[in-house]
Amino acid sequence: MDEWRYQPTEDFDQAPIERLKNFPRHPDLFVYAARSLTNLVIRGLMRVWHRLEIVGRENLPAEGSFVMVANHGSHLDAPAMLAALPLGKIHRAFPAAASDYFFTNLSKLVFSAIVVNAMPFDRKENPRQSLALCRQLLDAPGHILILFPEGTRTLDGTLGKFKPGIGFLTAGTGTPVVPCYLDGAYRAWPKGKWIPRPRKLRVIVGEPMQFRDYAPEKEDALKIAEALREAVIRTSHAPI
Amino acid sequence: MNPVFRSYLVVLVGLLVVAGGLLAVLRFGFKKNVDHAWKAYRGWLIIIPLVFTALWFGRLTTIIFFTLLALGAFSEFARATGLYRDWWMTGIVLLGIAAVGVVSYVDTPVTGEPGWYGMLMALPVYVVSAILMIPIIRDRAKGQLQPIALALLGFIYMGWMFGHLAFLANARNAYGYLLYLLFAVPLCDIAAFTFGRIFGRRKFRPNISPNKTWAGALGAFAVSMAFPWLVRFSFPELGTRELLLAGVIVGVGSQLGDLSISVIKRDIGIKDMGALLEGHGGVLDRVDSLIYVAPLFFHMIRYFRGLG
Repeated sequence: MDEWRYQPTEDFDQAPIERLKNFPRHPDLFVYAARSLTNLVIRGLMRVWHRLEIVGRENLPAEGSFVMVANHGSHLDAPAMLAALPLGKIHRAFPAAASDYFFTNLSKLVFSAIVVNAMPFDRKENPRQSLALCRQLLDAPGHILILFPEGTRTLDGTLGKFKPGIGFLTAGTGTPVVPCYLDGAYRAWPKGKWIPRPRKLRVIVGEPMQFRDYAPEKEDALKIAEALREAVIRTSHAPI
Repeated sequence: MNPVFRSYLVVLVGLLVVAGGLLAVLRFGFKKNVDHAWKAYRGWLIIIPLVFTALWFGRLTTIIFFTLLALGAFSEFARATGLYRDWWMTGIVLLGIAAVGVVSYVDTPVTGEPGWYGMLMALPVYVVSAILMIPIIRDRAKGQLQPIALALLGFIYMGWMFGHLAFLANARNAYGYLLYLLFAVPLCDIAAFTFGRIFGRRKFRPNISPNKTWAGALGAFAVSMAFPWLVRFSFPELGTRELLLAGVIVGVGSQLGDLSISVIKRDIGIKDMGALLEGHGGVLDRVDSLIYVAPLFFHMIRYFRGLG
């Protein structure tokens, strides 16, 4: 009789908390179940508490990998962007989250890795490496990368400058970039407040853009960042 | 507070204090390297309060506690063997294990006795058929026997057999039985280790567990045979015959359980099933010796004394 072939999972010898620190994460039944359930609850709560509305869902590419970019008003942003996607796709959607903030203690780690499926983005020490990781994610089919190119939450509700990282990432590629505008997130939960207020929240999904004819150089990257910033502003004025 | 519970609590707290003191003397007094023992000790500092807390709150928390352990143990087994990649198989077994917990909690229909014993005995029928149904639904035969076999072993061994501990929470003397088992089984492990270190020369099963010796196995058996008399306060209702049987069940069953998991680990080629607690490995590494003991002790008690 032939010997059986065992294929232990890559993370079988890691403690459960250590597993959450891995990226890319290995598919995990418990994590998928917990993520689906918590996202379902969060969607329900946002619908009730914030009267969450998704506008322009038809603009999301049906297949292939793509990037979603949006203004960053509050901690509600990532769950709200995920709410714009079908529940079945949230395990392949990765909101980039600052590794110096979201992966520092146990509760934030559990929230970031399990609920939001965040990608740890090193915005201080090694943003280039993080961009390489983003590129790797987008090379796989059906992945969705959610980025907030301002790099941090707004302090006054205005739209800040977009960092050029998104430009380096998408220049010269056919990867669709979907500009989105998060309306009301800052009013609902401004930086420094403990709990969200019951303000109306709206995710407006704009039309996808591509940057095939650009080069991955600083000048073009800045142009792309600016073009996307303008697209987000245009999206915010879109007729509803 | 239940007097049996209190007695075990006092003994265990006493042992932890003494062991901690001993480690401190060895470390600081004699400058010995006790890192390994210290890691294991830190693990016990978590395990023991956790067990007492779960049991202290009563039947429901005890059942939940053992069910979670069974779910954890099976998940580790599934990860280590690769069965975890098959989510349907894994999911069905996890549901089956949760069902063991549920039938341990609900009352028997008609008679109203706590715990649905008949369904506990019938559960393998349903879970086994559910597991076998998966390849049929998929209409796939190639390579299916391995996941089927692994899922069956996982459910029967780590879910159902181990799950008998959860059902013991329904016994009138649940504290006596459970605390005895939870104390006697690790003691048997420790006795095997100690006797092996002092007297061990001939290897017991060198291809499965190279550190085990005949002296260790026999010493552990002897300690396990004597132990029920030492803690007779746990179950004053038991006679000599039952105490003897309890000793045999723990003395043989716990070593067999340990070796069975070692067979699996050796075959896969891994050292520990998981890494939940430093110094202890995974859940399955900690509870492996309890798996045979649980159903054997349960049925012995039920046969001679009844649970209620």
